[in-house]
Amino acid sequence: MRNKHQNWGWMLAVDFFFAGMGGGMLVIAAVVELFGGGTRMSLLGNLLGPASMCIGCGFLILELGKPLRGWRVFMNPKAILTVGAWMMSIAIASGFVYAAMAIPLDLIFWREWAILGKCLAVVNLITGLVVATYPGVLLGRLKGRPLWVGPGIMALFMLSSLVTGCALHYLSALLMPVLGTLLAPILTPGSALFFLSGVLVQVPDAAIWRVLPGGIAALLLLQLLLWSGYLWVKQSGATAAEAASAQRWISGDLSLAFRGFMVLGTIAPLVLMLLPIQAAPALGAVLVLLGGVTMRLLTVRSGEDRTFLPGEQRYRLRLPTGNEEFLHKNWL
Amino acid sequence: MTRYAMVMDTRRCIGCQSCTVACKIHNELPIDIIYNPVTTIGPTGTFPDLTLSFLPLICMHCDNPPCVDVCPTTASVQRDDGIVHVVDSKCVGCLSCIMACPYGARQHNHETGTVSKCDFCKDRLEQGKLPHCVATCHQKARIFGDLHDPDSDVSKLVKNNRTVQLLGELNTNPNVFYIY
Amino acid sequence: MSKNVDLNQEGVQVKKSACYFCHQNCGVLAYVKDNKVLAIEGDPEFPTNQGGLCSRGNSALQHLDHPDRVNYPLKRIGQRGEGKWQRIPWQQAIDEIAARLSDIKGQFGAEAVATAGGTQRTDDWARRRFMNLFGSPNGFHNAHLCWIPTFMIETAIYGWCPFDLDLGNSRCLVLWGQNPGASGMPEMHHIVDLQQKGLKVIVIDPRYTETASKADLWLPLRPGSDLALALAWLHVIIYSGLFDQEYVDTYCEGFEALTDHVADFSPEWAAPLTWLTADQIRDSAVMYATNKPGNIQWGTSVDQIGRPAGATMHARALLRALTGNLDVFGGDLLTGPSKEFITDEEMEANDSLPEEQKTKQIGSDRFKMVTWPGYGRIAELSKAFWGKAPTAEWMCEAHPPSVFRAILTEKPYPVKALLVSATNPISSYGETSLVMEALQKVDFMITSDYWMTPTAMLSDYVIPAAGALERPTITSSYGCADFLLASQRAIQPMYERHNDYNFWRDLGVALGQQEHWPWETVEDAYFHKIEGLGSGAENYDQFVENVRFHFPEREYSKFKERGFATPSGKVELYSSVLEGLGYPPLPEYVGPTENEIDHPDLAKKYPLVLTTGGGFMPFHHSEHFQIKSLRYLRHEPYMDINPATAASLSIKDGDWVWIETARGRIRQKANLTNGIDPRVVFTQRGWWYPERDMKSPGLGGCTESNANVLTTTADKDCDPYSGAWANRGLLCRVYKADPLGDKEVS
Repeated sequence: MRNKHQNWGWMLAVDFFFAGMGGGMLVIAAVVELFGGGTRMSLLGNLLGPASMCIGCGFLILELGKPLRGWRVFMNPKAILTVGAWMMSIAIASGFVYAAMAIPLDLIFWREWAILGKCLAVVNLITGLVVATYPGVLLGRLKGRPLWVGPGIMALFMLSSLVTGCALHYLSALLMPVLGTLLAPILTPGSALFFLSGVLVQVPDAAIWRVLPGGIAALLLLQLLLWSGYLWVKQSGATAAEAASAQRWISGDLSLAFRGFMVLGTIAPLVLMLLPIQAAPALGAVLVLLGGVTMRLLTVRSGEDRTFLPGEQRYRLRLPTGNEEFLHKNWL
Repeated sequence: MTRYAMVMDTRRCIGCQSCTVACKIHNELPIDIIYNPVTTIGPTGTFPDLTLSFLPLICMHCDNPPCVDVCPTTASVQRDDGIVHVVDSKCVGCLSCIMACPYGARQHNHETGTVSKCDFCKDRLEQGKLPHCVATCHQKARIFGDLHDPDSDVSKLVKNNRTVQLLGELNTNPNVFYIY
Repeated sequence: MSKNVDLNQEGVQVKKSACYFCHQNCGVLAYVKDNKVLAIEGDPEFPTNQGGLCSRGNSALQHLDHPDRVNYPLKRIGQRGEGKWQRIPWQQAIDEIAARLSDIKGQFGAEAVATAGGTQRTDDWARRRFMNLFGSPNGFHNAHLCWIPTFMIETAIYGWCPFDLDLGNSRCLVLWGQNPGASGMPEMHHIVDLQQKGLKVIVIDPRYTETASKADLWLPLRPGSDLALALAWLHVIIYSGLFDQEYVDTYCEGFEALTDHVADFSPEWAAPLTWLTADQIRDSAVMYATNKPGNIQWGTSVDQIGRPAGATMHARALLRALTGNLDVFGGDLLTGPSKEFITDEEMEANDSLPEEQKTKQIGSDRFKMVTWPGYGRIAELSKAFWGKAPTAEWMCEAHPPSVFRAILTEKPYPVKALLVSATNPISSYGETSLVMEALQKVDFMITSDYWMTPTAMLSDYVIPAAGALERPTITSSYGCADFLLASQRAIQPMYERHNDYNFWRDLGVALGQQEHWPWETVEDAYFHKIEGLGSGAENYDQFVENVRFHFPEREYSKFKERGFATPSGKVELYSSVLEGLGYPPLPEYVGPTENEIDHPDLAKKYPLVLTTGGGFMPFHHSEHFQIKSLRYLRHEPYMDINPATAASLSIKDGDWVWIETARGRIRQKANLTNGIDPRVVFTQRGWWYPERDMKSPGLGGCTESNANVLTTTADKDCDPYSGAWANRGLLCRVYKADPLGDKEVS
């Protein structure tokens, strides 16, 4: 049909967001575990990392034309998607096993094995980085999609994964004591969940509180610069297709959303991260997440812009939209 | 080793859409799927100094097909004779191959949930027949055959004429050649 | 071939059928089992299409058993246009129709019954046979718009119509108002092949069409101004000494008179009338005259320009003789009718029509060339020379607009019944408002068709017609060629559909014509026609399977021995036959039907020039709009307008616009194209919306985008020679419309 562009839908954009964020969370948790001198990110944050990837997978499977055959995506080692699928599977398993180490339950028999923690952190670091980056690698290789082609999109996706990962870790750490308060009635000595009462408290390490906001601000600055640069390069690009595609973001139908992403999703949280006001960085973190979703949606939307061949757009523009009466007749 | 290729003689093409329709009808495609649109270029120029031509598009069955390695399930395959096609039972409808193809040759079939595309009528080739679009063309503007056979019409046409491959700069190495 | 059908299974027969979605009649192989067509494809061995098959031909199986096909005879219950039908058996329909016709004949005379046809899609000699035996002279088709006036005028001048072009040996082809690239696929293929061998092609067309884009020379003239161009060509060829002196001296009469007559028609005179430059006019005439042998291919356009049509055909005809391109090697051949097989005219029982009835033919008082006065004269000359006459059903017809007016005004006498077969007059005949009024008023109307068309909706009986796969076909240029190609039916008609031959036969038998219809089936009748060929076949199907074609060897320059089939035996550049019928013996100039020079007030209100009628894929007239795969590719009507003109009217590409003439207005989408003069617009023909409510008053949106709402059939706008009415070269205006919306309910 005229308006049915052959393109991925919003579910894949949401998958990219959750999977990327999860990957970023795993990376950060791993860095802290390996180089943080004995500190860890919050339990909630460490759980949300792999959980986020699961949610992403869920959207991915729902987007498939044949979801029940979804297991087949593990089959082609030459395909980036297959590599990504394997890596994500390992990351989810490793992430959950690692996160569980902060749960004071006998069931978690490995929770005191420090070496295991370091090893898992290494696995998390590698797989998390791959998951955070591989969608960008995939998009960058699609030569027929002018807005995506090239090395830039990989960096932008990795960056977004890291910054949204940081933001969610920050929010998770904040939420820990809040959860503790909320769940207090059921965290009584006699209850099965009593073991959590010691966990759901303020994360002690002030270093995280000092470093995270600053780190997020730095990543946001980088995001601002890289996106501006990326679109500038595309718009003055080697091909008319690239320029036209970029123009949709700069002044066309996608420009409102893009400005939302840059102003509300990047600049505003950058400022908020640096403000000494108590709630400011939290608000900033939420904005970062919203910005991350917006950015993925915009990027996927630009998949509509292909290396159109001469006469093709006019041809497709004149095809039916799908609502026409004649299409619904029982005609041959 | 056979290598199937197609030559489009745009000097002869009149944009009548017979090839588009023959393919659609005989392959029983869903209404919104078109494997081979024929676009119109022009009339270009200022009246009355004009040119007009028509561009039949199709899957290029590239030597270097971006749609094959991108497929996570190995449903997208290229045969030894160059034909690229989809093994429907393995396709999960992830649409990666659609996104990988710069020619828009693949389409999401909403009836089956999988991806479909031109396969140079490989079932007809087995019976010694030409693809529908080639057989139906009144103008004989579509020529099909073995590029590696020096006596075939396609290799002679490619050898003796100025031809162009679409989006050649993307290094897909298409096996569809346009005479203009 | 259908994907999952095994054509090698047992019991599959291959039938050598022909497509009949247009008159190219491309060969089609039909794979049949148990009277079901499993698959079709173009026949690689058929000489014209060589395996090719256009988008329409490819849709044959969707057409064959489409859910909207009329499959059973229907009798109207309720009001006209209400869409309430009772299904009745075939014989009951025949009997009731025969009874009604008999009544009308008794009360008002046989002439009160008229028949309407479209373009050649049926066995029209059978229709004429019925009408002759019934006693009515009022059969008609869209003949006036398509070839017939040209045929008759050219035959008057040089004894037959030279429609058989010896293109394979030619050096130059003039496509005068024809666009085979959009409508005549085998012909276009042939032309392009010959171009690669050096054939020069001149295209005369206001639009830069598919064919024009492949031409060596394109003349984008003002629609309707072909007469000025033809006269200027005559002038150039004579006054530049480019005529064939020997041919003219030996085989032509009236050269001096013609020379004087065209003295003033210089390229400089023609330039402002045609909107071409004097150089373009001169150069093109020179190209035709000096690249010999050369051909002038007839195109339907000149038949459709109304008032100047006959004079244009007249002037154009003379060009062949002046250049010595007539009936010579590589030129345009006068083959004459076949002496070897029985022609259509011989099957028409023309002698059965009483002379008294012939004089009652409506329109024959004013328009003589394609009615009994002209046809009679030409048939007389033709029989004397060739031994046979041209087909009467086509070349000798009532004037359709005058018949519609007779229905409404009862002048010259009442017409009380209309038998419509293979046409949708609401879509295809000029001046839709006149047609609608007449069809709604006529006392009795039956329609034989594949579909429930708007016309069928207004009928009292609807008769189910069998289509191409369900009938045998003989292709022979309206019965006027000396060759024929024979094809067989793939299956017997489905449901209760009947071949049109059998409809006329059954009706004839019910009206007492039994003894004149000895051939029970179409195959029997066809076999009778080709029996004389001595093929050895025992029946028609055998002929098709073993012989199939009759292509007599070409004879060139027959005139050297025999002369021409004219009173003087020569080419009559000064035509005594036309003069004898009351027409100018030499072509006289008259401007286009509506033009800015003769009608300045009209031109102020309607400043743009309109051309319509050009064919385009994948439709044919008003057909195929219900075939989804075809409709998908072109689902809305588009009119062509130059971008500069569009900008001045604030119209963007794809906007809905109104196109309005003095007759009415229609709505189409704007296609901005450089391929048309800023002063000209083109509207597509045939558009209706079968998905909409078919009941009155909407009738499937048949007046919404229908180009014939704009055309004119007033006597003053018709060609005096033939009565051909005006589809092209009219004045119009264009302005933006409200969007139609995707789900418009009428």
